[in-house]
Amino acid sequence: MKRARKTRPSLEAAHDKWGWFFVAPAILYFSIFSFYPILYAFWMSLTNKKLLSLKPPTFVGFANYQKVLSSSDFWDSLKNTLEFTVGAFVPLFILSLAFALLISSRKRFQRALQMALYSPAVLSSVVAALIWLIIFDPRGLANAAANALMGTSGKDYMWLSSTSMVKVSTVIVYVWKYVGYFTILFVTGIGKIPASVVEASIIDGANARQRMLRITLPLLRPTTVLVSVMILIFCLKTFSTQYLFTQKGASLRAVNVVTLNIYQTAFRDQNLPQAGVMSILLFILMLVLSYAQLRASRGEEEQL
Amino acid sequence: MKRTLSAILLAALAASALAAQAPTIPALKGKKVQLTLWTHEDANRMPLEKGYIAEFTAANPGVTVNYVTYPTDKIRDLTTTAFAANQGPDIFNLQISDAYPFMANGRVAPIDFKMTAYKDVKDLESKYLPGTLAPVIEKGKAYGLPLELTNYCLYLNKKIFRDAGLDPDKDYPKTWEDVMAVSEKIVQRNGEIITRRGFDFRYGVEPLICWVPMVEQLGGELISKDGKAIVGDDAWLKVLTYVRDFGPAGKNLGSPTYTAARKVFDLNKNEIAMSLSGLYQEARIIKSNPEFYNSKDWMVIPYPQWKDAAKRVPNNFYGHYYVVNAQSSKLAQQASWALVNYMLSHGEAYLQKVAIVQPSKSLMESKTFKEMPYSDVFAKDMSAAHVVYYGASSTKIDALLKEAFESVMLAGGPSPKEALERLRKSVTEVLASE
Amino acid sequence: MSSIAASPVARRSSSAAITSVLAWVALAAACLVVIMPLVFMAGASLMPPSEVLSMPYRWIPKEWKPANYALALAGNDGNWLFLRNILNSLIVASTVSATTVGLSALVGYGLAKFKFKGRNVVFMGIMATMMIPFETVMIPIYLIAVGMHLQDSYQGFIVPFLMNAFGVFLMRQYLLGFPTEMLEAARIDGCSEPRIFREMVFKNIGPAAATLAIITFRQQWDNLFWPLLIARREEMKTIPAYIVKFVAEKNSDEGTMMAVAAIASIPVFFLFFTLSKYFIGGSAVYGAGKE
Repeated sequence: MKRARKTRPSLEAAHDKWGWFFVAPAILYFSIFSFYPILYAFWMSLTNKKLLSLKPPTFVGFANYQKVLSSSDFWDSLKNTLEFTVGAFVPLFILSLAFALLISSRKRFQRALQMALYSPAVLSSVVAALIWLIIFDPRGLANAAANALMGTSGKDYMWLSSTSMVKVSTVIVYVWKYVGYFTILFVTGIGKIPASVVEASIIDGANARQRMLRITLPLLRPTTVLVSVMILIFCLKTFSTQYLFTQKGASLRAVNVVTLNIYQTAFRDQNLPQAGVMSILLFILMLVLSYAQLRASRGEEEQL
Repeated sequence: MKRTLSAILLAALAASALAAQAPTIPALKGKKVQLTLWTHEDANRMPLEKGYIAEFTAANPGVTVNYVTYPTDKIRDLTTTAFAANQGPDIFNLQISDAYPFMANGRVAPIDFKMTAYKDVKDLESKYLPGTLAPVIEKGKAYGLPLELTNYCLYLNKKIFRDAGLDPDKDYPKTWEDVMAVSEKIVQRNGEIITRRGFDFRYGVEPLICWVPMVEQLGGELISKDGKAIVGDDAWLKVLTYVRDFGPAGKNLGSPTYTAARKVFDLNKNEIAMSLSGLYQEARIIKSNPEFYNSKDWMVIPYPQWKDAAKRVPNNFYGHYYVVNAQSSKLAQQASWALVNYMLSHGEAYLQKVAIVQPSKSLMESKTFKEMPYSDVFAKDMSAAHVVYYGASSTKIDALLKEAFESVMLAGGPSPKEALERLRKSVTEVLASE
Repeated sequence: MSSIAASPVARRSSSAAITSVLAWVALAAACLVVIMPLVFMAGASLMPPSEVLSMPYRWIPKEWKPANYALALAGNDGNWLFLRNILNSLIVASTVSATTVGLSALVGYGLAKFKFKGRNVVFMGIMATMMIPFETVMIPIYLIAVGMHLQDSYQGFIVPFLMNAFGVFLMRQYLLGFPTEMLEAARIDGCSEPRIFREMVFKNIGPAAATLAIITFRQQWDNLFWPLLIARREEMKTIPAYIVKFVAEKNSDEGTMMAVAAIASIPVFFLFFTLSKYFIGGSAVYGAGKE
């Protein structure tokens, strides 16, 4: 008796300790390549080191934070990031959910449809930017399509040369690229809803709309939360679309998102500390927004 | 005729190159050293320099050279990062306004004159056009050897002029007002979309070169002698307004979102009539469109001036210098200077094959230079020009200028006055933080 | 009862038919719009540049120019370096995919099936790293890589990307559904933990592994800055660097640029199509064991 009691708990404990063994690679790797660098960036933000200077950095406390938080340049780039995030989040979320619902209710070609929608995500961002730059060229397809749709002729919709349109253009490229990805996530989530529940509701007389609103969507909550947090983080981190577009002539001010600002501040202006400040601020923003998102959805869940 | 002449010259050069013996440097005898050279991509220059490197390493067997090229718009960022990690290449070249931070932070080494053909700084300066080495001379020491010095003049496509009913030899634009008027006559559109441009600016990485001379012609300044930023509001506003009128929000004659003017110009496909570029563009035209080059359908005219210009200011010239990493070993530095000196001693070959101009007096007087079409136009402008602004924050100021001018040009952007205020504020901030 | 059952069915079939048609139209339109730029790339890659930006645009080239592909492969200096770049990209992307799948499986397993103290902290910590944009940490990571003497080597491309937080997340989700009873049984039989992992768990992560492999492969295929930073010889560069260089050189030849883009995309598409059955719309990935 005594022996059994001793072996069971210690077996559990020993067994659980193995958990550390398995996660050890992650701890090692992320410490070196994620935690240390972000701490380094934080440390840099408290100094005044210029990128090329051979002198050791001197500590200046939060002076850089003051400078950045009072510079209109930073707030402009933050505004650009938030504008982009909202602008991309809504279409991405709604379209991917809509497509997923439509696809799940099809009896055939489900896989082909998802593959088609996902195919842009397979391209590298350099290639995608290249293709779209040609499409957005004033002589390119975008103007041709817009002219055809709007019934105008020869009108230049200024996809890259108008400060407001270029924001729309970056959102278009981003949504195009990722809508398939999130559609697949939603389809997977819908697939997890037990058929029995759906069938029961049909027998009870629920029509398609009621089924969707009362059964599918609520049961889809875990996926919905996951997708919305992912879209949020993706959008806040966006970099390559804006970078590649501005390299080729688009106005920097219109799409100067925080990540691009960080990059330019570090390399073009050699100002590593201020780049570090913006990085830390962006990181905190992402943490806060993600947490708020999770809390909000958990609250809703409790209401259900 | 021109083609056979070029062919003969090339053959002669090739023959002389084969016969050429790179110097064997005593200091490198019997020693082994590996050099890394970073430079920006140039399809014409790479084979030329690789050839010289081969000759140099043949004469100095202990030396190996790793020659790497990078995209022009990335090389600065990459070099900066490498140096930040103390991993910079032994030899590299950057545009002077990008290279200055390296100098200012002591990251580049002074010339070791014993490895070169020059005795000292004074001797070096005397062999080049006055003022062209000033950007790399500090406190009596020289830090770079010139790879190229460029100023822009206006290339003009005669065929398109005639097609628009203009006589290129009489009607070519002499003033900025002319440029706009002529462009309006030449431009063709499909609705609002431009299919043929008259003139278009050179956007991209060189606003200090493009826009500032226009301001200076009207008496404005980027930075005054007493350190004030953006002086001469009338001048600045006139240029900003002109630029706004030129773009899609105004007369719709061009914009940064169309394909770069100088690249389209070479193709001669009735797409653009005028483009700003340097003498090196001629080598690009020969390579990509020899028929166009050999026809007489293009010409080069001086950089336009305003009708009521306060003073004549040709395009500012900018330079690339080869510099050496101060953290490289003494041996590597010696080998680097020796190699750079050897490569650059072939000024005429660089001119002939790459059409880049080293501002050495001997080259300016050489037959090769004089025989390049319109080299006199470039030389005349260059002699009256001054070097582009450089300083500790020139890269950032460059970016601020680009933003100011391009934002005014694009639809929905700020008014010239707003852009001017904003520019002045940011440049003042930058100067203050230096 | 039967009448209530009957009439909804009758109503359903006619409105359902209309909804069905509308749904198909919407889906078809969406797919067309989404695929159109890809078709454009394919078509434009075979056109001379004057046609690529011609107005109005002709989808079928008037003049076929497969020579674009030859020029794309040979490069503007005719040294076929593109092939070497493709090889580099293949090596790097495959290796990183392999390590990511392997390591994520290990870590995901540990987080899913072992209740050790601090488990949540570790998990949250790993998830937080997803919020760090690469531009922020590029310079410190470069300093570390240099300190480890990783420049100019395949290791330099690979080591900083050995695994990522998303992979851990994916594997953990998947392995949460792994039947614990089987593991218990194996333990009682006296199997060691590593052996259990090797023999039972690792062999059964197919769908998650395929999904993660594709995503990671594509991410590495797309990596522009890091390889450019770490490579110090031309021969070590990867595909995105080649594309950027090519575009800057012969900017006006949009047709050949599209050929370069097409060539660069082929391997990823190939991988995608072969592995997609694991990846797409499967409760397979997330809900192992469910219906």
